[in-house]
Amino acid sequence: MKIEILKEIIKKKSSKEQFAILTNLSNGNSEIFEFGKPLSKDFENYKNEIENYYNLKKNGTINGTQIFILNYIKPIEVIIVGAVHIAQYLIDLIKNFNFVITIIDPREYFTTEQRFQNIKIINEWPNKALEKIQTNSNFALITLTHDPKIDDPALNHALKNKFFYIGALGSKKTHENRCKRLKEAGFNDKEINSIHGPIGIKLGGKSAPEIALSIVAQLVSKTNKISLKSSN
Amino acid sequence: MSKSFEIILEEANSWIESSQKVVLATVIQTWGSSPCQVGSRMIVNEKGDFLGSVSGGCVEANVINECMELIKSKNSFKKIEFTILDENAWSVGLACGGKMAVFIEEINL
Repeated sequence: MKIEILKEIIKKKSSKEQFAILTNLSNGNSEIFEFGKPLSKDFENYKNEIENYYNLKKNGTINGTQIFILNYIKPIEVIIVGAVHIAQYLIDLIKNFNFVITIIDPREYFTTEQRFQNIKIINEWPNKALEKIQTNSNFALITLTHDPKIDDPALNHALKNKFFYIGALGSKKTHENRCKRLKEAGFNDKEINSIHGPIGIKLGGKSAPEIALSIVAQLVSKTNKISLKSSN
Repeated sequence: MSKSFEIILEEANSWIESSQKVVLATVIQTWGSSPCQVGSRMIVNEKGDFLGSVSGGCVEANVINECMELIKSKNSFKKIEFTILDENAWSVGLACGGKMAVFIEEINL
């Protein structure tokens, strides 16, 4: 692989778009594949097969050829509402996975750079903050404030925009009240039941790192489910 | 799901910027049970430092040696296959009983 290609891959991955890396195993040449972009001599004869693997997000050597394709899959976007203590542990765990994180919290004393280094933070109310992001079903929402003023607008937005994962921190009682408010806001039972509340898988722990771990476990399990669906 | 793919390539770039020679190893095929998926990657420099993985530890030592040999040779790439019948596989112990192919390539300036 040429150093230029390596540098281009590093540059491209921050654009958050899907692409693939092609390698001709018979001569060691490689190049970056983007849908619709013309292929060089090494690969042009295999255009259809390459596009097929790309569309299925499948990695491997194309049958009967010396062409290897490795897909770079767009990362999942995770929005965390509430720059609280649990969020700090969450970020520590999440950074090992293919997620892009944004934290939203209107409370300035929580969103200091000293508490969250190298993380995108929007220091505004969720309504306003979410207007600035093009969201879709590739997004996950984790609400951590258990304050209806802050959490509810974000939950409304996530339900309307069909986020694939929505989790809300709070006790059973808090969640019951939350469900009532969402029902009054016009959401049906199916939509409301799609919210994971209380958030996380059952680990039995109550400390901030334990709650963070239980949330990440649930998020990863749901993410694997959707990526399996899209690759079949 | 994991983010290691990005971290490895960034590290490869920084090794090269500090004038080291780097070989990229990629799992290109697996048969039967194999701990690493197709597309798993590892980088190796001429000193034998490595990052990432191509198996659960079964063939790493062998791949690292092959990468260091590649740096010394005139070739810039090589395909290595590991099978249970392979003498190498016995010595490095592909305990899962699977088969796999790894493509190693030097990052060229």
